[in-house]
Amino acid sequence: MTMRKGIRYFLWIAAILAITYSSVYFKKLSDVNAGTAKAFDAARYASNYFYKQLPAAITKAPDVNKLIVMIKTDTVAAFKTYGHALTIGTTRYFLVQGKGTIINIDDDGVEVSTPSGNPVLLATEFVYGNALRDASGLVDINKFSNTMDLNNISAEVDRIVRTKILPAVKPQLKKGSKIIFSGAVGLNQAHLQLEDMEITPASLKIIP
Amino acid sequence: MLLAACHSGHKTKQPKKIAVIVSTLNNPWFVFLAQTAAAEAKKRGYETKIFDSQNNTALESDNFENALASGYSAILFNPTDANGSVVSVTRAKAAGVPVFCMDREINSRTEATAQILSDSYSGCVEMGKYFVKTMHKKGNYVEILGIVADNNTWSRSKGFHSVVDDYPGLKMVAQQSADFDRNKGLEVLESILQAHPDIDAVFCGNDAMAMGAYQALAAAGKANQVKVFGFDGAEDVIGYIKDGKISATAMQFPKVIAKTAAKYADEYLKGKRDFPQKVPVAVELVTAKNVDDYVAYGKKN
Repeated sequence: MTMRKGIRYFLWIAAILAITYSSVYFKKLSDVNAGTAKAFDAARYASNYFYKQLPAAITKAPDVNKLIVMIKTDTVAAFKTYGHALTIGTTRYFLVQGKGTIINIDDDGVEVSTPSGNPVLLATEFVYGNALRDASGLVDINKFSNTMDLNNISAEVDRIVRTKILPAVKPQLKKGSKIIFSGAVGLNQAHLQLEDMEITPASLKIIP
Repeated sequence: MLLAACHSGHKTKQPKKIAVIVSTLNNPWFVFLAQTAAAEAKKRGYETKIFDSQNNTALESDNFENALASGYSAILFNPTDANGSVVSVTRAKAAGVPVFCMDREINSRTEATAQILSDSYSGCVEMGKYFVKTMHKKGNYVEILGIVADNNTWSRSKGFHSVVDDYPGLKMVAQQSADFDRNKGLEVLESILQAHPDIDAVFCGNDAMAMGAYQALAAAGKANQVKVFGFDGAEDVIGYIKDGKISATAMQFPKVIAKTAAKYADEYLKGKRDFPQKVPVAVELVTAKNVDDYVAYGKKN
């Protein structure tokens, strides 16, 4: 009787050990990671885009005043020639460059009087959104099936401006200073508000 | 033989059919989306029918079953659940019926032929910027979320927080779901106000909940102190922005979404096969400053 009991216990323990052994296995974490698809590195993409692709595109961007004049005289042509966006809709983003004199500074941005007299606003506080990502027309939506990757590109590009570009130049921003700038601006073709346009800066340089 | 020829001739004259399967017809926004999609498909020569899933994936699955059994050639689809709806789309794909998602996405990059979606994240980035400016970078606020299983809920929330969380003076004291429903929005905020009577703003994941939230604030005598922000561009909220009762909404364009989906289905049935998987449709911020440029669900022409 005791012998039988012992065999039964033995069989139970053997069964539990066998189940446990076949249920748990160990694998190197590096092997597991190698087997999974690589997550999109938005920060790396944004850095390459901002420092390499965008500056080249900006060299071909129109002067901000030339763009404003063209929009006023032939809106459709201006939007077709210079406007880009990843979305369906009437808002398009434009790369621009320019220079001028700082005439006002507040919490949200810097107002710059340009040689032709049209003041423009450069954002220094709320640098968020898709302007810098979309304006160049270089980011191809068809290469991204995950919408969040595209959102993260915008977030990372804007983060570069907020954490690297603006802190380096903000202490030098003073009324009366001469400034050279480049950046991107969003305009809605269906409801043009040129007086409210705000440039998201890509570069700002004070001229001594 | 003559009969067969007549039958065959009759068959070729039958218009192809496009099904519109919508998450709910209990919300005017989705009624507008479904009716516009059906009207556009009809305009392009298709017979159409709208199926209401009543926010229920089981009913949605039945709707797919019926549509496939009834010989519909394409489905314009507004899903109820980003994960739970994938299986229905897969079934349609296996049956050779293309599915075009409208407004809400499914968590699959291969099953739908294309997904035409509001750019909710970017819309809420703009909303976040406006929120911070309006609140002067400080205050306590509540966030009322939509359906937790819907990706739009999180796209909107993430877009909003991608800006607002950079301002430590703005404190979220409560975050709760009200399922995109007006009555639930009212109940949820009533309950939150018991624990947090000192809030300064409410950000809602859609306009129906914003209307409910405003109702709760009005009943508590706080409508003038607490700012309400919505998302959608619904008719009543456009009116409330004009009256200064609601601070802002993000205008989606269901007409653009529905018409694009119907156009893609038509192109597919005529032989086109290369469609972008995700097609974002721009969302625009509507405030007291520009509200006169907009009507419900879109821009003034």
